[in-house]
Amino acid sequence: MTIVFLTLSAITVLGALLAVTLRNLVHCLLALVLFFMGIAGHFFLLKADFLGAVQILIYIGAVAVLILFAIMLTRNISGTEGGRGSLGGAWWLGVGIATTLAGAMCVFVRRSDLVSKLPYGATEEGVVKEIGKLLVTDWVVPLEIMAVLLTAALIGAVVIALEEEKKR
Amino acid sequence: MDAIYKLIQHYAPKIPDLLALALAVLLPIAIVMGVFLTVFALLTWVERKALGRIQNRRGPNRVGPVGLFQPVADGLKLLTKEDIVPAAADKVVHFLAPVLTVVPAFMVLAVVPVAKGFVPVDLNIGVLFALAVSTGSVLALFMAGWASRNKFSLLGAMRSVAQVVSYEVPMVMAAVVILMAAGTLSSVGIVEAQRGLAGWFVFKPWGLVAFVIFQLCAMAEVARTPFDLPEAESEIVAGYHTEYSGFKFALFQMGEYVAAITMGGITVTMFLGGYLGPGSDLPKIGWLVSAGWFFAKLGIIVVINIWARGTWPRVRVDQLLGFAWKLLLPLALVNIVAMAIWHFASNKLVGWGASAVVLAVAIVALVKINTGQTFEKRSYRFIS
Repeated sequence: MTIVFLTLSAITVLGALLAVTLRNLVHCLLALVLFFMGIAGHFFLLKADFLGAVQILIYIGAVAVLILFAIMLTRNISGTEGGRGSLGGAWWLGVGIATTLAGAMCVFVRRSDLVSKLPYGATEEGVVKEIGKLLVTDWVVPLEIMAVLLTAALIGAVVIALEEEKKR
Repeated sequence: MDAIYKLIQHYAPKIPDLLALALAVLLPIAIVMGVFLTVFALLTWVERKALGRIQNRRGPNRVGPVGLFQPVADGLKLLTKEDIVPAAADKVVHFLAPVLTVVPAFMVLAVVPVAKGFVPVDLNIGVLFALAVSTGSVLALFMAGWASRNKFSLLGAMRSVAQVVSYEVPMVMAAVVILMAAGTLSSVGIVEAQRGLAGWFVFKPWGLVAFVIFQLCAMAEVARTPFDLPEAESEIVAGYHTEYSGFKFALFQMGEYVAAITMGGITVTMFLGGYLGPGSDLPKIGWLVSAGWFFAKLGIIVVINIWARGTWPRVRVDQLLGFAWKLLLPLALVNIVAMAIWHFASNKLVGWGASAVVLAVAIVALVKINTGQTFEKRSYRFIS
């Protein structure tokens, strides 16, 4: 168990580091995917199968592809034109902010009693069922708000695309 | 996995614990890889023979009896060919792409119940895992296209990304119905939910619609003709694998075929009752009979794939995307409503009738809306 955990952690940290240090944007994205895979692996290791699968489905299947499209629309993908590397300049500031944030999160997560308060029995079999039930009972308002937001974004995208069509 | 571990401990208690554990992990992997690689080799032969028959020629008939050893010859030929990497290519990514194409295809096999009591890993979110992992192939295809530094490769890669992302949506929506019916995400659970006379989900109105949607999306997802736009030979040479030769090319072919087989396996599991069939519950030989049933059904799906490949021309890009978004997705959404009607109907007959009527109306309306569109002559923005 520890060996698996250490290997996975090493892969995850390596992916994260490469994602911010590599110069080529596509390489950065691939490193980011490696990082996502590592996180998904951690979820599987912790027996949170559902979270692991959703991590793959959303972060690798959707977010990474979205970033990919964004990258394909930019110039200077290889990172050779001008500018300092992503680690140049005020890197110590970034490290400081990241450490502070992570530290604060650790402190508050440890202090909070949210986990013990969770009423939901996180049994192996029933996780998905429980999540489904909660989504349409306790959390139905946030769910609906998200649905409305996404629909609005979709309609907005269509409207923008239509305007361009007219201009031609 | 646990069962094998217990068997080893029972019959050979002298074996050290760690070795037994390693065996229990590696044995299912070896079996699955071996079986499905054989099926893959056979499939290439069957496909070429069947396509030959459709096109009024003989297909491979020189190597071995009726050309049966053709896959071996192909493999050897590709192994010994020179591996050419374009000078401008991104070497590392160019190398990683073909390897990564094969990985998701095999990973899906981990949750496919091949026979009664034989599934490599019985995850309780099996189907979700399969759907999630199979999206991973997009990145590999994109890596291949991008790393080749070739316009045709990049075009093929962009096409494949757009295609897979579009077809993912109706595919998952079609699968939702099955999950509603079975009440579980586990692949074994879904198979067991299809017990009984005409219990297979494909025999229900919503199941049939979901099956057709899922099958079409699966074909599009693994980019097989008529949906093989990412590697359309007549338009963009060979798409994302234009710059690949030798064994890397073979890996791409293998990834495509194994993905086709695994998607077929998922289809069989979800709609055709998986390993269930007469005799699959017999005490001693049940596992063999059930494996036979599984592979027979898989064979039917594979033959349907080849048949579609041989008889339909390739679709255009706008047809491809319009088909997914304007026909399959709305139909899949209506299908979920039909499933809800079935679920809450007072008795089976009412549920049958009501859901069938809803679906028939939806299909007729959607087809009406989608046919008869004519397109204006295209104008290109960047050509004056």
